[in-house]
Amino acid sequence: MTSNLERDVQPRTPTPPFRAIKSLFIADFLVLTKSTRALLAAVMSPIYVLVISRSSKAQTRLGGSPFLLTLSVTLGLLSLSLVSYTMVVARDRERGVFQRLRITPTPTWTIMASRILMQVVVGEVLTLIVLIVSSQLLHVTLSFIDYPKTMLITLLEALVFLSLAQSLVGLVKSATTISALGSFLYAALLLTGLLGVSGVLGTTFQSFAKWTPVGAIMAVFQAALSQSPWNGHTTLALLACFGYVIVFGFIGVRYFRWEAR
Amino acid sequence: MEAEVTLNNRVILSIVDLVVDFGQTKAVDGVSLEVNQGEIFGLLGPNGAGKTTLLSAIEGLVKPASGRVVVAGLDGAKDRTKINAILGVALQSTSFQAELSISQLVRLYGGLYNIEMNSGAIRSSLESAGLSEESNKRFKQLSGGQQQRLSLLIANIADPLLLLLDEPTAGLDPQSRRKLWGVIEQNRRDGGSILLTTHSMEEAQSVCDRVAIIDHGKIITVDSPKNLIEKHSSDPRVLKVARGQVTLEDVFIGLTGGEIRD
Repeated sequence: MTSNLERDVQPRTPTPPFRAIKSLFIADFLVLTKSTRALLAAVMSPIYVLVISRSSKAQTRLGGSPFLLTLSVTLGLLSLSLVSYTMVVARDRERGVFQRLRITPTPTWTIMASRILMQVVVGEVLTLIVLIVSSQLLHVTLSFIDYPKTMLITLLEALVFLSLAQSLVGLVKSATTISALGSFLYAALLLTGLLGVSGVLGTTFQSFAKWTPVGAIMAVFQAALSQSPWNGHTTLALLACFGYVIVFGFIGVRYFRWEAR
Repeated sequence: MEAEVTLNNRVILSIVDLVVDFGQTKAVDGVSLEVNQGEIFGLLGPNGAGKTTLLSAIEGLVKPASGRVVVAGLDGAKDRTKINAILGVALQSTSFQAELSISQLVRLYGGLYNIEMNSGAIRSSLESAGLSEESNKRFKQLSGGQQQRLSLLIANIADPLLLLLDEPTAGLDPQSRRKLWGVIEQNRRDGGSILLTTHSMEEAQSVCDRVAIIDHGKIITVDSPKNLIEKHSSDPRVLKVARGQVTLEDVFIGLTGGEIRD
């Protein structure tokens, strides 16, 4: 047996983060296009809300068209984060996909950065779809400046929900438990945000609900769409959103384990 | 300071007094060994002996409690991404994204090793692995042999200096196993070094220049398969289990004990 011992042993450079994120992003996009059920659920649920509330009577009862628009976007983003994102991360962790990616010469943070970026992009596209559909069904007319404002708030909303989702996959390892908890949190947060903020469950619950992630982000969203005036509560709600991103994000990064064992 | 890739006496991998523990259990207990450039080095051990954990520590997937891993002069604790750039790895439970086709996987891993792979390059690499007909199939749709060939193709994608293979021929038929040995030997002929774990004594004798027998996280003995047989052929523990002429399997069972491990 012979071997080429004179083989050139040159230093190899690790892959630049941008290059790694580009490759991972393309792969994550391809995975997403093949996860049609999760994607359809995230897109169809907000569209469904818009369709069933398209009569003016329904709109008035449900809090007006800007509220319905905010609700639809929140519904979609919450589903993307707490159901879709958590399930994909938990599943890939159990399969060992992360371990395989970690032994490549790329900074480890790029693996999650690409996935989070993908969710944010999908969230923005979802919001755009909701805006277009709501302009047709609910006859919501937004000014030119409302579009970038909505996109910016969508970014914040996506980050709030994704940090919450990240803390879930950080604290819980089992994919089955994550799936169950994700679905529970999705329903609980949505109902707390909706019913709590509306006041139908009483004033005490209303005061609590408006500081939940859904309550806070909906207050900011509606103020940004000029449905309600920007006041002290809106500023505090905005700060609460940033606080959620920092706290949940910290928990999600600190306790996250790449392997399922 | 930029770390340089240097080879002292052509040692590609140096493990010094490595300890990996999981709570109270020491999975790797003070292991020291060296793998030379151009060498095929086999790790033999019963289930739970610490083979995969040792490989995981070299790969940077588990953090050692103490000791050092040095690959081509680079410190495992400080230069992890640089080490990953010169390592090729095929994991025991290789798991790629199930939704991607194998050509998409090759493109992804090419990108992660900073190698631009156009369609032609992907096609030719799949052809070289005998997988051109399967380019649109997903990983799970491949046979066991095809999965191993893809794992090896991806492990070799950046022409690594050191290839780590965790039970590369487990579950393969004899034809696929022989073909894989050919790939491993070709890699060595090209100047690469290979560290593999195996349960197959036949594999250890056929392809490995040296083997280490590991049990309970400790290296029991290291030498060429031939020398190991010679060295231990008069050991009473080995003679007790030998059926006729002493084989590597007799040495292995004699030194690690006959009880079944889970």
